[in-house]
Amino acid sequence: MGRILFHVLVAAMLVFLLAPVILVIPMSFSADRVLMWPPSGFSLKWYAQIANERGLIEAARNSLVLAVIVTAATLAISLPAALAIDRWRFAGRDAILALLTAPLLLPTIVLALALLIIFVGYGLLGTWIGLMLAHMLVTLPYGIRVLSTSLSTLPASVEEAAASLGAPPSSVFRRITLPLMVPGLVATCAIVFLVSFDEVVISLFLVGPQLTTLPVALFRYVESRTDPLVAAVSTLLVVFSLAIVLVLDRAVGLRRAVGK
Amino acid sequence: MTEAHLVLDHLEKRFGAGPPAVASLSLDVRKGELLGLLGPSGCGKTTTLRMIGGLAEATAGHILVGGRDVTTLPPHKRDMGIVFQNYALFPHMDVAGNVAFGLEMRKRPKAEVRERVERALEMVHLQGLGHRKPRELSGGQQQRVALARALVIEPSILLLDEPLSNLDAKLRDEMRTEIRDIQQRLGITTIFVTHDQVEALAMCDRIAVMRAGLLEQVGTPYEIYETPATPFVADFVGRINRIDGERDGNGEIVAGPFRLRAAKPGRAGKVTVMVRPHRIHVATDAIGPEWNSATGTIRRATYVGDVLACEVDCGGATLTVERHTHPGLPIPRGGEAVTLAWRVSDTLAFDRPAALSADAP
Repeated sequence: MGRILFHVLVAAMLVFLLAPVILVIPMSFSADRVLMWPPSGFSLKWYAQIANERGLIEAARNSLVLAVIVTAATLAISLPAALAIDRWRFAGRDAILALLTAPLLLPTIVLALALLIIFVGYGLLGTWIGLMLAHMLVTLPYGIRVLSTSLSTLPASVEEAAASLGAPPSSVFRRITLPLMVPGLVATCAIVFLVSFDEVVISLFLVGPQLTTLPVALFRYVESRTDPLVAAVSTLLVVFSLAIVLVLDRAVGLRRAVGK
Repeated sequence: MTEAHLVLDHLEKRFGAGPPAVASLSLDVRKGELLGLLGPSGCGKTTTLRMIGGLAEATAGHILVGGRDVTTLPPHKRDMGIVFQNYALFPHMDVAGNVAFGLEMRKRPKAEVRERVERALEMVHLQGLGHRKPRELSGGQQQRVALARALVIEPSILLLDEPLSNLDAKLRDEMRTEIRDIQQRLGITTIFVTHDQVEALAMCDRIAVMRAGLLEQVGTPYEIYETPATPFVADFVGRINRIDGERDGNGEIVAGPFRLRAAKPGRAGKVTVMVRPHRIHVATDAIGPEWNSATGTIRRATYVGDVLACEVDCGGATLTVERHTHPGLPIPRGGEAVTLAWRVSDTLAFDRPAALSADAP
């Protein structure tokens, strides 16, 4: 009885969470000129139309490049940070971990406004470096969290065993710690990439006429036009994200990596 | 007697404020000896092992191996093989990879590594399993891999941290003999941490009993069992009856309902008397100056196959008495009156106020 109720509850939550995403897919095959439900006919014309939208394609390329750079940079910072936080007992360790996680607790709009005010003074608006720094503010907490979880589930005795067998610290890290962290590293990459690729609020404040990201470009598009092209783009994005997550899950077991 | 191979000299470990986890521990371990560190959890035995292996820093004192001070050496320079309680195998490497790791770190040529790994696996009866992953092995097999991995580097000292505690009872007995065999064959100096007194008695050349960071007694299994230095050792190693009493100037002890003589003379004053259950005889005519005796009624008899245990109420004190069984042995019923007798030489007496310090036995 309790089990059935539980399953019903889970199903209801899934429907609630997925309904908007699922609704977008039939709408993307609409033959209508405006977004409406239900579509009066189906076609692939809006997918074909994407190719003509230079702005969107440019923005998508920017987002992709930005997400890759942000992922690499986040990994480069959060791996040593997670190692230090997990392995060393130093004064203010908990405070630093809390501070690094703090950006997640602030409303994004507050963060975005603060960044806007700061970036104006340094001429960082509409620049790659500005967007990269802003995205990393949000992705670093994820990176450090996932990597320190991954590290803390790694039994210390395995590394100690390696050391006792004659491995200096650098060898222990290369031969033992790093290989055992692979699931965590892959999960970090996936999460950070998707967070950056998907980021809209902060980007909205910081992009410029020369440099915009896909979510922002889509947002602008919807402001002025109401045709089903956005549904087609959204469907492609859903498929893209889903593919990343599925491949990762197959490769390393995402659930294990996030350390449920 | 050969010279000490491992010397612990006033070794101390403190974690923050409070009493030290290990306090001024001094111990000599001879070459080829298997020394057990025995004690309840939290007594500092694992911390001591970790300090020897370089996994925990000593707050004070020195560790010497073959005369060389290794106190501040990092673990990878200590040349010690460690077998962990949870085995700590490398999950991403196969069995052969695990065993080869130490040799690779020593930059041995490939052919030599392969040959020595093979020999090590043979030694622990795992030949042919080199390509398995640790998670595909049973607990006992993982244990053997851990042992092979630690031994293949031919370390100067082998450290075993409760290596048998995760195995089931039958396998534990088997591994006990096997580890002891290998240790003696290789003649490797070994420190064996355990909380299991049977394990310690069965395997070790000498046992160091620890309690709350302090060394209570060091001795052979026989010495530890027959002449415990403190009530704690007597109580921790084997089962024992305990009665508080007082010794008069003639050496006679009045403890509860008993008037007793103890194995060793001592000062007059408060004492704790201890006697092992299986050293007490039931309904014998063994009476004389070398015997202590008492009368009582049986409160409960428990038959567990090889042993019959009786609780005997002696009017103010209860003694547990054990005897080996044989076919036809009558199982006494509750309420039966019995006469008990045990040798004066089996009667241990400890001065009570001073009993907690680790004086000479």
